[in-house]
Amino acid sequence: MSTAVAHDTGAPDAPSGRDVLLEARGVVMRFGGLTAVDDVDLTVREGEIVGLIGPNGAGKTTFFNCLTGLYKPTEGEVRLSGTVLPPKPGRVVRAGMSRTFQNIRLFANMTALENVMVGRYCRTKAGAFDSILRTPRFRREEAQTRERAQELLDYVGLGRSTELLARNMPYGDQRRLEIARALATDPKVLLLDEPTAGMNPQETADAERLIFKIRDSGLAVVVIEHDMRFIFNLCDRVLCLVRGKTLIEGTPGEVQSDPRVIEAYIGTGDGTEPDDPDDIDAKIEAQVEAREAREGGRG
Amino acid sequence: MNDIPQQLVNGLTNGSLYALIAVGYTVVYGIVQLINFAHGEVFMIGAFGALSTWFLLFRDNTSVWVLPVMIAGAIAASVATAVIMERIAYRPLRHAPRLAPLITAIGISVFLQEFVRLFYGTIPGFPSAKSKIPFPAIDGVTGSPFHLGSVVIQRPALFTMGALLVCGLFLGWFINKTKQGRAMQAVSQDPDTARLMGIDVDRIIVIAFALGAALAAIAGVAQGLQNNNIDFKMGFMAGLKAFTAAVLGGIGNIQGAVVGGLTLGVAEALATVFVTGAWKDVFAFGLLILVLVFRPQGLLGARVVDRA
Amino acid sequence: MSTTVDRADGANSPDSSAPAPAPRATGKGVPLAYAGSGLMTASALMSWCYDPDVLGDLTLYGNPAPVQLTMLVLGLLGLVLAMSAKGPLRRLGAGLDTSRGAFRLGLGAVAYMALTLAAITAQAGGLVNADPGAWVALVGSLVLVVAGRLGVSRPSRNIGAMRAKGWVEILVLVALVAIALLLVADGLTLRDPWAFVLLLLGVGAAAAGLAGANAFTWLGVTASYHSRVLTLAAFVAAFAFPLTQNGSDANMSIATQVIIFSATALGLNIVVGLAGLLDLGYIAFLGAGAYVGAILSGSAFATIDWQPPFLVTVIIGALFSALLGLIIGSPTLRVSGDYLAIVTLAFGEIFRLAMFNLDGNNGPKITNGPNGIPAIPELNFFGFDFGVTHHLFGIPITRFSNYYLLLLCVIALIIVIFSNLNNSRIGRGWVAIREDEKAADAMGVNVFGLKLLAFAGGAFLAGLAGTIKAHHDVSVTPDQYQFLESAFLLAAVVLGGMGTVGGVLLGAVVLKLLPEKLRFFSEYRLLIFGLLLVLMMRFRPEGLVASKRRKLEFHEDDEHLADKVQTIHLEEKTS
Repeated sequence: MSTAVAHDTGAPDAPSGRDVLLEARGVVMRFGGLTAVDDVDLTVREGEIVGLIGPNGAGKTTFFNCLTGLYKPTEGEVRLSGTVLPPKPGRVVRAGMSRTFQNIRLFANMTALENVMVGRYCRTKAGAFDSILRTPRFRREEAQTRERAQELLDYVGLGRSTELLARNMPYGDQRRLEIARALATDPKVLLLDEPTAGMNPQETADAERLIFKIRDSGLAVVVIEHDMRFIFNLCDRVLCLVRGKTLIEGTPGEVQSDPRVIEAYIGTGDGTEPDDPDDIDAKIEAQVEAREAREGGRG
Repeated sequence: MNDIPQQLVNGLTNGSLYALIAVGYTVVYGIVQLINFAHGEVFMIGAFGALSTWFLLFRDNTSVWVLPVMIAGAIAASVATAVIMERIAYRPLRHAPRLAPLITAIGISVFLQEFVRLFYGTIPGFPSAKSKIPFPAIDGVTGSPFHLGSVVIQRPALFTMGALLVCGLFLGWFINKTKQGRAMQAVSQDPDTARLMGIDVDRIIVIAFALGAALAAIAGVAQGLQNNNIDFKMGFMAGLKAFTAAVLGGIGNIQGAVVGGLTLGVAEALATVFVTGAWKDVFAFGLLILVLVFRPQGLLGARVVDRA
Repeated sequence: MSTTVDRADGANSPDSSAPAPAPRATGKGVPLAYAGSGLMTASALMSWCYDPDVLGDLTLYGNPAPVQLTMLVLGLLGLVLAMSAKGPLRRLGAGLDTSRGAFRLGLGAVAYMALTLAAITAQAGGLVNADPGAWVALVGSLVLVVAGRLGVSRPSRNIGAMRAKGWVEILVLVALVAIALLLVADGLTLRDPWAFVLLLLGVGAAAAGLAGANAFTWLGVTASYHSRVLTLAAFVAAFAFPLTQNGSDANMSIATQVIIFSATALGLNIVVGLAGLLDLGYIAFLGAGAYVGAILSGSAFATIDWQPPFLVTVIIGALFSALLGLIIGSPTLRVSGDYLAIVTLAFGEIFRLAMFNLDGNNGPKITNGPNGIPAIPELNFFGFDFGVTHHLFGIPITRFSNYYLLLLCVIALIIVIFSNLNNSRIGRGWVAIREDEKAADAMGVNVFGLKLLAFAGGAFLAGLAGTIKAHHDVSVTPDQYQFLESAFLLAAVVLGGMGTVGGVLLGAVVLKLLPEKLRFFSEYRLLIFGLLLVLMMRFRPEGLVASKRRKLEFHEDDEHLADKVQTIHLEEKTS
């Protein structure tokens, strides 16, 4: 049942020969007068790991939010396996693209297992009547959900933490749990937003191994990361965003040696830029959250 | 259809009342994102505060100079109620899940109503509040109406509209020109940064509650003058209508509350003309639901900060 | 079992930072506890009052009246605590916080005696009428308080992990259910408000003592082990209740009202407790069902001349209500949280006003306006007339008992729906939405659909109960369905515990029973429950019987609590 994850396929072929899974064309995201993402293209093929780098405020997370339907892009479209994705998070997940969050957003008061089981929600069908009457379909599905969730926890190395409350878990484990939850939706493409933020070197190495393992099982992975060594080790291709625009796209080697990339990173530090040097992503995030809070938060 | 101008006047009168109360919802919501459900009761307590002042100090004196003192009494009662409720009920819940303050608000609302109903009459010399209590008819602001062609304008209606005008000007000045007003704007835009800038957020929240309460108190007096009586239940319907007005104008937006209040008043009055008076309230609440579903940001849009 | 358990013990009593298990029940507390509870027990066999007309006859030696029996029970509980601290029950004591239990039990007993003395003063005309027994009981209680303060007990084992033999546990649970049934049956027969309040206070004192000693933790874990047995026992008890009434309708009428209220509160709990949505117009759904039931009842005042079989009426009423629920729930697509609460409130008002206005003058004649629809005939189920007394094994089952039993079946249905939904994919979805709506959406949880389901489902159940209520009440009028009733329902849910069945049943029974039994209380009922809502949100938002998850949600920063819940959860999973 877990063909996507269960077996290793060995060394991948050259990525360019594979089918295109995710294709974003001309994505633009404006907030009032501020253009956070400006005409960004992204192509991700089967079995590929693509890195998304860029200084703070380059619009990486905003771009992720556009891809996953959390924001409705002002312009441009996102296709998954050729079909245009509507800007609705639920539909995007069902279509086969799942994500983790920069600031971990687990269901804190649920156990690890329950968190992953929630991820199975969109792949199960038992409705209210099945649940109330405990029909055979309900029992079968519930058992499968549980089994699959446990399998995924084992897969990310949390097999022994099944019954721990998410809020009681160590930070690194929480990040891995988020990956397991995302994998539970049976994605074709997995988007990871800073999967190693706040991790020690040992945990980072573990995370790297886990991402390779996920890739080898046939998924495509897009990673936002600040840790350059991590990203250049991991990725087949790297896309560098600066102030919402694509600066360069290429192999890790090409991007690493490009003087503009270095300048972009150093340039943000000296404060001479005309644009707001602060983290635009964080600002937008804060604004959007404030609005959501106003329009009625958790009920 | 001849009574349309008359109904417009009635609508503006009720609308002014709604607007005065709605400001309280909107100011508090803009700053702490809390629907202070008990605000209707603050309005009711304002009316009782005015009445109590009259009983204690004037009794049987209805000359016009009594009115400012009654208003002061109303404001004192309302502001005290609002500040106490903020301090002991809402503040401890500021970081609780949002269900908690909402349930608290309902509790306060019921509690205040019952408190007035049960205990107002136990104060020596005060009438029982279990049924309607007559409100003193102050000279000058009550009495023979003015006639403008076929349109009749009651004196208390003029008082209500005048009160809205004065309060509106005062608000504009307060929000834009005073230190507290500007701090209030800052807190509503970004409480964390405001705190870093040295603004005492707790104090600003108290001021917001007090400001809303003061306006509601004036509305309470206006209501008493208009209806000639007050009762412990008066806050429920008025509060709900005022909330509708606040939503209509875009909650969090102070001008919106005024516009929303007047719009709701007029819309209701027109509904009376074209449908029937019995369905007026249903019409108002139907409007509330429709606005929330189709234009949750209200007529004037949400608060100014959202245009970032 | 070992390591985690030890860690959690630290969490149970935050002050015990010592790594080694400290000696339990140190100091002079234990002898005092024996003395205090001994005095309390003995006092029950003495005379409390010169006047035989006060609180049942308290004047006899060696023949305790109910008021004294309560004290006897409290005293025996105190003895059990003392013996667990140091004595034959040490093994039990390993998991109990005996001193805290003794302290709270003592405080409760002091309050109990204070009220008893007040009753004696009021009814017999002066405190001089109190006999030594009453003073002995008071002194005993005070001694127990002091004992509890002096002793510092440090439970060395996690009580949630302590298991007895299966049949022993079941026996304890069944015994508790039986005691609860007897208490309710006894409480309902009390005519004297003093005696009634005393009974409540006595139960409260016992509960405070047991809760203080952490015994409820054990009870909670045990109850979840044997939940089927417990539910079954509770239902057997509830079904047996009419049989204890000997054909008297006085109590059954109250019991039926309590059960209608409980059923509605349980329905509301699906919306508030599970989906986390505040519905302030819930009573309108009950009303919608009731009006459908009334209009299709064949009453002479019904406005539609069609009387389908009652089962059809029930389904129409429930579906009509559910449809309203769908309409009212639909704003959830655009707005959520606080706004939705107001939408439901506005809807509740619209419903009431519409029922008021559909009188033939201001609108079509459907509801007869403020007069409502009276003279609704009794239910008749396949020839079984609910209006007359039937006999079961010679025991009379009266009109109210008939309705009571039917409503009990409805409650059973609601409980099954509630708990099966809760323990399913849908229930997990609701939790996820409550925890983080955005993340739930991003993980593919159908947020809108699930909220709508909660609304429509809750409305369906309320509508169902409403159709029966119409027949039970005989008439339906708009003012039965006003906002305050919705707030009253909410108070029951909040008091009992959002998201739990037992809690809401408790909350509903307490809130509905008190005003029925106490005139004093019925005057101040709204005042008290308004205050109750505020106090509960401030001090115990998860309710008296807390759902673990709700408790965690309301105490986001409480690390100790998270550890404690974790440990108990692991215990439940491993054994």
